Amino acid sequence: MNIMFVVRKTSLIESLKYLLFLGVMTVLISLSIGKMEYNWQWYRIWRYIVTSSSDGSLAFGPLLKGLAVTIKISVISLFFAFIIGIITALFRLSTSFAAKFIARVYLELIRNTPLLIQLFVIYFVISPVFNISPFVSAVLSLSLFEGAYASEIIRGGIISIPKGQWESAYSLGLNTLDTYRFVVIPQTMRQILPPLTGQAVSLIKDSALVSTIAIYDLTMAGQAIISETFLTFEIWLTVAAIYLIMTVSISSFVHYLEKRNNYSE
Amino acid sequence: MSKPIIVVRNLNKTFPGPDNKIEISAVKDVNVEIFQGEVVVVRGPSGAGKSTFLRCLNGLENFDSGSVVIDNTPLDHHHKNRLEIRKEVGMVFQSFNLFPHMTVRKNISLAISRVRKKSKEECEITTLDLLEKVGITDKIDSYPSQLSGGQQQRVAIARALAMNPKIMLFDEATSALDPEMISEVLDVMKALAKEGMTMVVVTHEMGFAREAGTRLLFMDNGEIVEDREVRDFFENPIEDRSKAFLSKVL
Repeated sequence: MNIMFVVRKTSLIESLKYLLFLGVMTVLISLSIGKMEYNWQWYRIWRYIVTSSSDGSLAFGPLLKGLAVTIKISVISLFFAFIIGIITALFRLSTSFAAKFIARVYLELIRNTPLLIQLFVIYFVISPVFNISPFVSAVLSLSLFEGAYASEIIRGGIISIPKGQWESAYSLGLNTLDTYRFVVIPQTMRQILPPLTGQAVSLIKDSALVSTIAIYDLTMAGQAIISETFLTFEIWLTVAAIYLIMTVSISSFVHYLEKRNNYSE
Repeated sequence: MSKPIIVVRNLNKTFPGPDNKIEISAVKDVNVEIFQGEVVVVRGPSGAGKSTFLRCLNGLENFDSGSVVIDNTPLDHHHKNRLEIRKEVGMVFQSFNLFPHMTVRKNISLAISRVRKKSKEECEITTLDLLEKVGITDKIDSYPSQLSGGQQQRVAIARALAMNPKIMLFDEATSALDPEMISEVLDVMKALAKEGMTMVVVTHEMGFAREAGTRLLFMDNGEIVEDREVRDFFENPIEDRSKAFLSKVL
């Protein structure tokens, strides 16, 4: 009886706190909007998401076209970031001094300089030399940047595999490559999936920076529309919502995968 | 007499001490020859270097000096020799070390398909045979976490046997088990000994030594202080250290 009462009481207090928070937020937002005297024109944004052509069929508006570019860049970069991450992690764990040194230099270089600067260096300095397109420059810098962080996650995952797993694989006559491929990496994957997802979400968000090197991604599309229409608030809020939908769906999909693949329970 | 299948000469292994200054000797100048079909039981107090000695036999531990020759292949710094030896030497660990992300079937068949390059059908036949041998055919699709300790260790034995090794090493294979599961694992080991498998067994199970062992090594402080026939050992232990030890456990 007593416990029931306590539980009810705390949940009541929690709900009251929540309502209070919502109330304060609503007041603050409406106050600021009122002060802004901004003329909201939400009805105008739809044509930038979906356009209908003269024969009545629907087509992607500029925002969705930008989204497609963002997705394309993110997926390709994610793939390469993962490859770079694995190679760097293996380099750091190897016994070769040269491999360790190369990995170390790469990590320090990438992690201690801003991504925007790396993007500019690749786009303005390296890409003219090798004659690579803005798209490739974008993918290259994003992969290199996220790969550095992914490698730390992967390295941590590999280190966490118990010594006995290596020993039993070796005692069966498996070589190092097969030990990694069949024993260590699959077990590592399960552990590093959540932090790696976080990195993928970061990558999608960081990809907004490629708008600075003339790539027509989601952010760039938003910017272009605003300069034409002055729908500053509506477009930026819409762009933010699209990013949010993307990242939240990735997180929940991986969460679902994790639950399904839980072999230890 | 035939040639020994394991030849260990002047084996030395040290570990760095707590402050990396002093070195601790784990195996000290060990000389031993083991012949085909022998079941050698290695005994001794904890810290005597039994496990380290065993792990030197398949190159899980790098030794400092001396030589180990397994079936005419020297265990040296050549990676190829090391792999070759590991194919012929199976090992069972105290903590089972099954691959938790694989079913029992995959645990057993992984090495046969990857190292021995056998076809899927051959792998399946071998796996079923071995599971029958260790008495758990019904668990073929289970994951290690769904098995009891005794079952896991029997799968681990089957996994090592799948490579069809010439020698089997057992590193305290029953020490992590609940008492009621020890016998099911020991029974498998005894059956293996009866089939003529060459075995080196680090164990505290004197019953196993008496029943299945042919030879007994007693280690203390990294040295082999006694090396005798099992029967002889139980009748009249000579070394004081093993005498004291034996009087404690019997």
